[in-house]
Amino acid sequence: MAILVDRETRVLIQGITGRSGVQVTSELLDYGTKVVAGVTPGKGGQEIDTVPVFNSVSEAIKTVGEVDVAMVYVPPLSAHAAAMEAIEAKIALVHIFVEKMPVFDVCQVLSLAVKNQVRVLGPASVGAISPGEGKIGSIGGPAPDNVFSKGPIGVISRSGGMCSELGLLITNSGFGQSTVVGIGGDLIVGTTFSDLLIEFEQDRDTKAVVAFGEVGGSSEIEVARLIEEGKFTKPFIIFLAGKFAEKLPRDTSLGHAGAIVGMESTMAQKIKALRDAGAIVAENFEEIPDLIKKAVG
Amino acid sequence: MKLYEFEGHRILAKAGIESPFFIVCSSIDEVKQARKRLKFPIVAKVQVLTGRRGKAGGVKFFTKEKQLLTFAKEHFGQDFMGEKVRFVSLSQKVEIKKEYYMSITYDTVKKLPFLIFSFQGGIDIEEIKKKDPSLIKTFDIDPISGPKDKDLAKFFEQDKTVLADFALRLWDAFSRYDLRLIEVNPIGLTADGYLMAIDAKIILDDAGLLRHRDLDILPKGAISAIPTDREILAKKIDEDDYRGSAGSTFIEFDGDVVVLASGGGASLLVMDSVIDAGGRPANYTEYSGNPPAEKVQKLTKIALDREGLSGCLVAGAVANFTDIYETLRGFIEGLRQVRPKPTYPIVIRRGGPRQEEAYEMIKKVARREGFDIHLFGPETPISVACQKMVELANDYKIRNPKHESRIDSYH
Repeated sequence: MAILVDRETRVLIQGITGRSGVQVTSELLDYGTKVVAGVTPGKGGQEIDTVPVFNSVSEAIKTVGEVDVAMVYVPPLSAHAAAMEAIEAKIALVHIFVEKMPVFDVCQVLSLAVKNQVRVLGPASVGAISPGEGKIGSIGGPAPDNVFSKGPIGVISRSGGMCSELGLLITNSGFGQSTVVGIGGDLIVGTTFSDLLIEFEQDRDTKAVVAFGEVGGSSEIEVARLIEEGKFTKPFIIFLAGKFAEKLPRDTSLGHAGAIVGMESTMAQKIKALRDAGAIVAENFEEIPDLIKKAVG
Repeated sequence: MKLYEFEGHRILAKAGIESPFFIVCSSIDEVKQARKRLKFPIVAKVQVLTGRRGKAGGVKFFTKEKQLLTFAKEHFGQDFMGEKVRFVSLSQKVEIKKEYYMSITYDTVKKLPFLIFSFQGGIDIEEIKKKDPSLIKTFDIDPISGPKDKDLAKFFEQDKTVLADFALRLWDAFSRYDLRLIEVNPIGLTADGYLMAIDAKIILDDAGLLRHRDLDILPKGAISAIPTDREILAKKIDEDDYRGSAGSTFIEFDGDVVVLASGGGASLLVMDSVIDAGGRPANYTEYSGNPPAEKVQKLTKIALDREGLSGCLVAGAVANFTDIYETLRGFIEGLRQVRPKPTYPIVIRRGGPRQEEAYEMIKKVARREGFDIHLFGPETPISVACQKMVELANDYKIRNPKHESRIDSYH
């Protein structure tokens, strides 16, 4: 089973003729993902790696039929228009890979997505992979099998790099992953930790979830509430990064736009809320495999 | 990016929100000139980015030139709440009947912009909240259609017409200029029924800056209002080249281990791990999103161009799509240009596309040119490589004792 993406997922890529669009197309095809169409306005009629290119999303769907996922691989200031187009076409999952998308654009996109009952993953999301089944986005790059393997652990991180890092740590300790999802590091993202935990709860292949949390925001507090309310009942292991930043002045922004010092909850509040709810908070990053063993061993 | 108050008033003016007439001064001479254009009583405000400057004595009323000049002399070039004062603004004191609070920012849980309002302006919103949360009212805004006049009028209850008009103008500025926060506290209700922005706090969304090149904004540092030379140079790397990011976030510390981290998430883990192991980072910075070699080369040179270092840590997670050979080639080229030639230990921990190829190249360079480089691959957890860096840096300090003296105060 797994979540978000499986063997049958049909993908459309917006911005398919760009540098990163071309690259991700070949990576996805290599992994066996069904990339059925690409869109770049003005470049309809071309082909990228056997994938037909269309001028618009609606034109693509008319020709190739319904798709499950639209992936947005366009420049930051074009992401708004591309995502709106995919949402208006009611594609069930819109994955926005684009980094540095203005937060105002993000809010408009998410607002339309709610109205059209579309799920948005990202912006600045590396993608999602269900090892052995399929992937969307650039997660794992050209060689996902180097780090990911099939197994019972769900993985969530804002950061793309930490998705791979956690994947590797889990693979090396003899476990594998059901689905690994990078939700993006921006201030506001379409799919949160909590949204994914609700999916993982339903997923029979997932026995436990490992997450990488960061300074700033309140997504970890939401997770604690979710666990307390009994909406997520499987073991939840989380590592929180960015303690050092709490010594910096309020409002200092770090690498991720969403990692803002002093915004909403402090690290101590997050740890306390999570522990009180019954989540497992890892003290050190390298102890995560042991914690998994204890939780699902 | 946080703005100075006077920069905020300029943005408010573009949306038709009036502020008391003010003049920004950067020297005593300018204060002397400016005061001739104003009538006493004059309000003098120290321009700094930290909040609560009023409480700290940064806002004062003057009826005589002598005291005003003394105030200006006391502050120009001096430290005020951790920031060096570059500007003092002078404005005419305005008679106001009532003070309100209004701001627009993002609710990251509801994923919507929303307006916060209180009839009790003039004090910090956190304090109003503590005093009586019912004094604060919020209004969610549809980001596509914006707030509706009639809904706002219902929301405000009193002084509806002027407040709804003010709110619409605030929204206009917020949406037009990609703001993350716009806060006016207090809004002054004048005797003849007009609203004026007595103060202005604005935070710009850095991702939106590209479409507002027309805004006349002074560059700001990561922590303080005034960026360090290294911060300015590092920021410029991304401004000149849109591919990937390198150096946009650069924060300088007093430590002795330079950190060149990759990725927003991994960079936090790297910093925590170095500090947990007893190390002292000389900086926080981050490159990611597959930047070209030249950008990493520039960042390396900027970060390593300082004295008293005892280590350099290049660390990141297993990359998904960043070309490790390219980025590490950039690092090595930057390293070669650093003078004097670094003799301190360098730890590299990376994984991902072309990592093995990159390590072969680095081994050759290290052998040929005599760099003390320690390579760790994906099999070593990031945190463990960070511990190793701290051990090596400590050994280096013992062998080179003169380093110890000038390193202190991160902790």
